[in-house]
Amino acid sequence: MNRLIRSVLLVAFLLLAMAARAQKITFTPQWTAQSQFAGYYVAQEMGYYKEAGLEVEIVHPSASMSAINLIRSGKSQITTLQLCQAMQIIDEGLPLVNILQTSMNNALVIVSRKDENPIEQKGIRVGTWSVGFDQIAFCMSLKEQLDYKWIPVASNSTLLVSGAIDATLAMSYNEYYLLKQSGVRLTDKNVYRFCDHDYNVQEDGVYMIRKYYEEHRDDARRFAEASRRGWEWAVEHPEETIDIVMRYVTEGEVVTNRPLQRLQLKEILRLQVDRESGKREFRLRPDMVSLANSLMTEGQMLFNEVTYEDLVSE
Amino acid sequence: MKRIIQNYRSSLSRGLSLLAALLASAVFFAALVFMFAQSRRAVKREAMDHASVVLDNTVQRVNTIISRIEGATGNLLWNLTRQLDHKDSMLVYAEAFIRNNPYMQGCSIGFEPYYYKDEGKYFSPYAGYQDDGSIITTVEGSPEYEYFYMDWYQLCKLLDRPAWTDPFLDVDPDFEGSSDMIVSYGMPIKDGQGNYVGTLSADLSLDWLSETISAVKPYPNSYSVMVGRNGTFFVHPDPTKLLYESIFTETLEKDNPDRMALGLAMVNGEEGVQKVKVGGKPCYVFYKPLGNTGWSVGIVCLEKDILGRLNRLRNDVIFIFIVGILLMLLALGRIIRRQLKPLEALAVQTEAIAGGEFSKTLPNDGRKDEIGRLEQSFSNMQHSLVNYIEEMKRTTAAKASIENELKVASDIQMSMVPRIFPPFPERDDIDLFASMTPAKEVGGDLYDFFLYGDSLYFCVGDVSGKGVPASLFMAVTRNLFRIIAQQGYSPKEIANRINNALAVENEQGMFVTMFIGRADLKTGRLEFCNCGHNPPVICVPGEPARFLPIKHVNMALGMIDEIKFHGESVDDVRGWRILIYTDGLTEAENPSYELFGTEHLIEFMNENADQPSRVVIERIQETVELHRSGAIPSDDITLLCLKLL
Repeated sequence: MNRLIRSVLLVAFLLLAMAARAQKITFTPQWTAQSQFAGYYVAQEMGYYKEAGLEVEIVHPSASMSAINLIRSGKSQITTLQLCQAMQIIDEGLPLVNILQTSMNNALVIVSRKDENPIEQKGIRVGTWSVGFDQIAFCMSLKEQLDYKWIPVASNSTLLVSGAIDATLAMSYNEYYLLKQSGVRLTDKNVYRFCDHDYNVQEDGVYMIRKYYEEHRDDARRFAEASRRGWEWAVEHPEETIDIVMRYVTEGEVVTNRPLQRLQLKEILRLQVDRESGKREFRLRPDMVSLANSLMTEGQMLFNEVTYEDLVSE
Repeated sequence: MKRIIQNYRSSLSRGLSLLAALLASAVFFAALVFMFAQSRRAVKREAMDHASVVLDNTVQRVNTIISRIEGATGNLLWNLTRQLDHKDSMLVYAEAFIRNNPYMQGCSIGFEPYYYKDEGKYFSPYAGYQDDGSIITTVEGSPEYEYFYMDWYQLCKLLDRPAWTDPFLDVDPDFEGSSDMIVSYGMPIKDGQGNYVGTLSADLSLDWLSETISAVKPYPNSYSVMVGRNGTFFVHPDPTKLLYESIFTETLEKDNPDRMALGLAMVNGEEGVQKVKVGGKPCYVFYKPLGNTGWSVGIVCLEKDILGRLNRLRNDVIFIFIVGILLMLLALGRIIRRQLKPLEALAVQTEAIAGGEFSKTLPNDGRKDEIGRLEQSFSNMQHSLVNYIEEMKRTTAAKASIENELKVASDIQMSMVPRIFPPFPERDDIDLFASMTPAKEVGGDLYDFFLYGDSLYFCVGDVSGKGVPASLFMAVTRNLFRIIAQQGYSPKEIANRINNALAVENEQGMFVTMFIGRADLKTGRLEFCNCGHNPPVICVPGEPARFLPIKHVNMALGMIDEIKFHGESVDDVRGWRILIYTDGLTEAENPSYELFGTEHLIEFMNENADQPSRVVIERIQETVELHRSGAIPSDDITLLCLKLL
């Protein structure tokens, strides 16, 4: 009897110890719920984070609290950022570490209202996000001397179709399809894709504040591995992944629909494949970091160079 | 199938009724198709007019309210621009505005960042209804709600004219009370110098719009939709589509040209009707723009609703049509069969008559139509047939009797000429064979031969004419030859005497050509008298066959009394083959009327000179038969072949 009690107590102690070991961590994608973050939702729903000994809470940003502000405030420990955003933040004095790079290509496009090449329309009014993501576009317009009038907007489709703006920036996985859903005709002519020109700079990656990283290297590694598993599962199970994404979308009351999310996932997964190797590499490319540096320095968006080494963990 | 076709082919009534039914079907069908095409067009036009009127009325009603809002907002703007220096009055204006305009949900008067320096970047006075019906007034704008990036603010600013936004969820984080779906009418606020300073926005709850537009139901299953200028649904019977989907959503993943065309027509502010599939069902969508809002209202009507009655009518008519045709087929079949019944009886009776029952009575129901005439004709034909057959029977009997007599005559005639070969078996110095083939039962040819001591008398003759008269004349001639020749006369003497005997009382003017010969078997000397006959063919050993040279061709016997016949002789004909024949041989015709000819005969004799007489004659007969190739013989053929050894 004593032995039995002792065994039960031992098991209970071990379980408690394991539970105590599971590291609580908050992850904030940089935008509201959508397929752009499918891999993380999958890792959460499939229990990959739990298996890695992490207790992850996914908290989306709100209008009152952006992702980077959640990080700065310490309410969140991990976020996703575009490479250029991350470099700007580092340049502004908050060292970050890229613990997982998902995007291997640039998704930015310019869509013109008229069926004409946006690059050949100087001085037009171009919609941009009031919250950023447009660094490469600014650098490009400066370099090409396009003299665009940038109009920060909350949403671009109504403004574009009504002619309030002549063109707009869009992400090839998100606004591109929203514009298509608004009846905007998208052709080879009126869509300018940055990745097809000299501006193919990687975008989404997973970042931590360097200080936090230094103290939780193992958690970071496990989070990155579990997230990568999530993405790999999403590649194999796109329809089930959309089911998961739609749950997050509904929960977050995001105005979207399944076809849009399906197209977004397809495009996001396409952007994860490196053009040269044809593989999902999940790594920052030093050459793309250099390209981002030179473009942003030229565009006076960086005061100091942010090197590949500044971004990666080692 | 084959059996059915055969069945119809074997019966005139069935065939006729089927043909009539088919023709009637074709005519009815064409008429039906035409009628339905016309009806369909008319019903569609009427339905479209109906739906258009309903749509027009609705649009008119909405437009009235929209105009009222635009007017009221315009008035407020007019007041505002005069009070720009009094920023504190803005909230009062906003509140008064929504109080006085029953359709308004809220009113924002947003200013450009730092327009009022002391207010900083954000200054947007707002008044709006709360859920409990009370009005709240507040000043909006914060880093979390940068109103100047919103559509309601930017649209009229960038367009530099008043503009309606598309519907949106009012998600002001500072003002939790409102998360309704609203649309805003924005007007640019300009200062005294005409510079843009901000946007006056009147918010309109979508509820009343939805109610007004949803109430439009021209048909039981029809419903209304309303889309914004980017195609987003903001009135739709399926609430999950509101804001979340646009009219183009179904075109995102796969091509849907109809939907795309409809969507573009609607967002481009066109008015019209298009046929599209909604949820797999064909529908007509009637659409019309709403004033200057950039929105479009559409009424979706199921095709089966519009054309439902017509389709039901069509199904009924098709049913009646099919049943009617079947009944017609049956009725026609019966009527035609009844009408053609006499024909059937006629066919049976005629068949019996054809089978030999000539006494069978043909039906006669006194009809005057074609069938009556046919019955009459058949009856007449039957009588003629009976008479004809009776006549034929008599004729046949008579003919049979004549034929029988002729057969006897033929036998008698044939018995008149020697027919036993070899004729002189005891003598090996005579190779003689003869044949006589009459063209009819009896002929006018003759031949004869006999031994008188060491002399061989022979003759071949051909009486003018054919048939019985010629045969009688032949019998007389042959008897004269026998009687006279057996007295030992020379051929010319025989000819003289036969001629005299025949010429006496020869009222018919008949005559006979004859070759008369007497061969001395000891010396081989041949005496002959040719009385108008064909010259015989001779084959002298070592020489080609040729005609016997004749110096005196006498007249035929029996023509003129008391004329002198000349005889001729050849010293020694031993070893010669002599063929005496009648002109039936050389004048034998084939179906192309080509004669056997003398050349052919000479050629034949050249080839066969060495054969015995019997073989020569048999072969000649075969050769002539071959030449004739089935043609009916026109003349008697008599052949006599002789060789003295």
